[in-house]
Amino acid sequence: MKTILIVDDSRTVRESLKFFLTEGGYQVIEGCDGQDALKVIEGKTCDLVITDVNMPNMDGLTLIGELRQKKEFKFTPILVLTTESQQNIMDKGKELGATGWIVKPFDNDKVMAVIKKVIGE
Amino acid sequence: MMNQFKETFKEEAYELLGNLEDLLMELEDNPDNPDSISAVFRAIHTIKGSASMFDFEGIASFTHVVESVLDGVREGSVKVSKELIDLTLISRDHILAMLNAESDSTPEFEAESADIISRMKILTGEEAEDSASSGTKASETEKEEEAVEKTFRIQFKPDENLFLSGTNPLLLLNELEEMGEYACICHNESIPDFEVFNPEVCYVSWDIYLTTKKTINEVKDVFIFLDSRSEIDVSVISDWQNVLSSDESRKLGEILIDKGLIQASQLEDILNSRKKIGELLVEQGIVQESDVKSALEEQKISNSIKQNLNTGSAATIRVQSAKLDSLVDTVGELVTAQARLNQLALQAKSSSLMSLAEQIERLTADLRDNTMSLRMVPIGTTFSRFKRLVRDLSSSLDKNIQLITKGGDTELDKNVIEKLNDPLVHVIRNSIDHGIESSESRREKGKDEMGTITLDAHYTGANVQLQIRDDGQGLNKEAILKKAVEREIVSPDAQLSDEEIYNLIFMPGFSTAQSVTSVSGRGVGMDVVRKQIDALNGSIHIKSEEGVGTEFSFHLPFTLAIIEGLLVRINDEKYVFPLSMVQACMELTREERTSHGKKRLVEYRESVIPYIRLREIFTEESDLPDREHLVIIQTETSITGFVVDEVIGDHQTVIKNMGKLYKDIHYITGATILGDGSVALILDVNRISALAKVEEAGE
Amino acid sequence: MEEQTAQEISQYLTFTINDESYALNVSNVKEVQEFTSLTKVPRMPDFMRGIINLRGSVVPVIDLKIKFGMGSTEKDIDTSIIVTEVKMDDETVTMGLLTDSVKEVIELSETEIEPTPYIGTKIDTAFIKGMGKKDDNFLIVLDIDKVLTVNEISMVSAQEKAESPE
Repeated sequence: MKTILIVDDSRTVRESLKFFLTEGGYQVIEGCDGQDALKVIEGKTCDLVITDVNMPNMDGLTLIGELRQKKEFKFTPILVLTTESQQNIMDKGKELGATGWIVKPFDNDKVMAVIKKVIGE
Repeated sequence: MMNQFKETFKEEAYELLGNLEDLLMELEDNPDNPDSISAVFRAIHTIKGSASMFDFEGIASFTHVVESVLDGVREGSVKVSKELIDLTLISRDHILAMLNAESDSTPEFEAESADIISRMKILTGEEAEDSASSGTKASETEKEEEAVEKTFRIQFKPDENLFLSGTNPLLLLNELEEMGEYACICHNESIPDFEVFNPEVCYVSWDIYLTTKKTINEVKDVFIFLDSRSEIDVSVISDWQNVLSSDESRKLGEILIDKGLIQASQLEDILNSRKKIGELLVEQGIVQESDVKSALEEQKISNSIKQNLNTGSAATIRVQSAKLDSLVDTVGELVTAQARLNQLALQAKSSSLMSLAEQIERLTADLRDNTMSLRMVPIGTTFSRFKRLVRDLSSSLDKNIQLITKGGDTELDKNVIEKLNDPLVHVIRNSIDHGIESSESRREKGKDEMGTITLDAHYTGANVQLQIRDDGQGLNKEAILKKAVEREIVSPDAQLSDEEIYNLIFMPGFSTAQSVTSVSGRGVGMDVVRKQIDALNGSIHIKSEEGVGTEFSFHLPFTLAIIEGLLVRINDEKYVFPLSMVQACMELTREERTSHGKKRLVEYRESVIPYIRLREIFTEESDLPDREHLVIIQTETSITGFVVDEVIGDHQTVIKNMGKLYKDIHYITGATILGDGSVALILDVNRISALAKVEEAGE
Repeated sequence: MEEQTAQEISQYLTFTINDESYALNVSNVKEVQEFTSLTKVPRMPDFMRGIINLRGSVVPVIDLKIKFGMGSTEKDIDTSIIVTEVKMDDETVTMGLLTDSVKEVIELSETEIEPTPYIGTKIDTAFIKGMGKKDDNFLIVLDIDKVLTVNEISMVSAQEKAESPE
């Protein structure tokens, strides 16, 4: 079973994502911001990270940079939760090593399509 | 399903809006504090994102505008002012009101939203971009596009650090594969030796050919997460426009140039040698083997597309045939001049001149083939007029005759086809008039009352065979012979084979018809037919069986202008065989010369075939050379070896008419000019083997 | 008067075969070619020496010496081919004449050409138009249209037909 780390300060987002993902057969671990996420995955690995950008304490982009420094997360796909108006965020995320993005608002189909694209069925 | 999160959203939104009030106050006190700005922005941003997911459309569209204003604050383009804080607070209250209501999309809320938005726009002094709605519009137009199947060429060369962004390119390929008919060529030449191999680096790239109904944007979207460090080129290689506008199937070299893998000049260099272009390009390290494989795949696809479009799309133009003829003549001269150029280049021992000469040779050959193909016309175009002829003539003779045509798509030089008309009319008239019996007579004989004439065209080696068969009474040998003797064409005691008797009808002034009819039997006809077919370098053969029918077969060359030839030498003279009739070349050893006693037989592919020594036929008197060579030819009747001194090689043979003085020399079909300016004779192998038989019988 | 003279005087190309001088009306002559190479066409009468490439056209070459029964022309530095246009069955045929050497173009008036004498030449007189004289040398003026008769060509054809079974 593949494990996905969700990082978002919005509980609504985390819970709805978690719902979609567990329905889709994934195991989910959560972080409510960048710092929290780093704590949660300490000594663990996962198959995919989905992170929001705008978060208190440590934003998503910084988190990507931190994750890429860890050898366990060097090649792990990382998706950024973003909105359509944030092209600059997408670019910055890519620069730091993000794999792709999920545009908010999202629904089940959209999330699954993107996940399939980056980690397969 | 989403409803269960609505409450979660509401809870979170209340929390955020509660915080927002404090945050805004804080911001008013410290308008330059980036943390405050970010926190305010984030709160609105989060509400917006979640609201749209859980069907709070009124909140979502309103917060979108507020968010973009706050984004302006973050970027410094909008100043933090009392008005801004006031408006944001009003916005916050408005959101809270919508959140508390049964529905957030009532007309009252919408009016209020519009009012706040217009005030915000006045404040920022610019039109807030309504990106959400414009985005929807774009995708709608896309969907309106008609779903036409296209073939895309996708060149995907990932950034070598692709893996470091967590991207698995194979998943992208899978995604493409699911979109339609898919062919993928992997370029893996860059993978280094194991010692220096870095598993973190992406060394490979791909060319994908995808035939799908998806739009180009849908195809491009597969790679949406990749940035400019990866090279992705998606182009349509087939649509109706392209396919129809190109007459030729695409050449490998053109595809490679098109893909920017090679320069046109590099291609030219390569074309000068005769190996397969792909192999050469790889050998010389200009492209990788996989590039060639990829281009070949593309060629395959474009060819198959072409085949799918074979009907109904023949865009044609009319050209005066005189213009075509003059083009063919010019090309003929060019071919000859080119051969001379090759010769000179060889003599000059200049490699640059050689390569130019070879390039011109290549171009000339292409030009020649294209030009000749312009004059090729399916013979079926003339068949229809014979249907009319048969119909009209048979009814005027009160006979019941049908015409069946076969092989109408067989192509011949237009000039050959034009000159075939008269001989065909003669032969068909003859069949209607003399060959096929009256209906009563056929009934008495127990034949089908309806007589049948069959026109059958097909390819045989270098020739086209055109057969005119009838199921009539057949030729009457006695009557022919009697008439020939009466007309003093043969002596009364002549011993003739069946075919020789049949051939008598081609003699001038011969007619076997008992009565002269309006259709034929005027004593002109068959001799004219013979002359006309001879003039085409063709031959006629007759088969007949009394009571069963007669078959005339015309053997005709495709074209009267240029053929591929095999150049050979006998003593100092050079001769050309039509290459298409040549099956093989081999040495005739001394042992083989004597292995069958005096009989001229030689083993070839597990059978024994006769051979003809051309120097004997041509009465060359010098001694036999030590080494002789056999050119194995498929003649009309058999496989025969022709013995020559030396086989020189292929030669593009521009057939030159030898003129009136030589018009009756049947064993030579013409002459051609060689690169050194000398003249070689083109052999008519069928006539020569017939000649050899006669001479052998005479010995 | 002058016009009259102009009409009567024609230009002739002179050449030699076995040291005898011949003349041919230039209106029949297309050009003169050096004798380089020639392709033999097998099974043809000896006097039909073969064919040459004349700027892309194939032209048959007749050896007048053989035709006239005076041996055959050996190639040397002076050997030339006079390319002529000959009328044959209402058709104009281009044909090369092999000669030992080509001399010059001279002018002869009709009156300078005498009827053929019955002595002094070994050749059949049918294709001799007459005898001319230039600088005390006698010239045999040929009627080129009659050098190769239609008969001879059909004879060639007949021979070929006899050999061909068809």
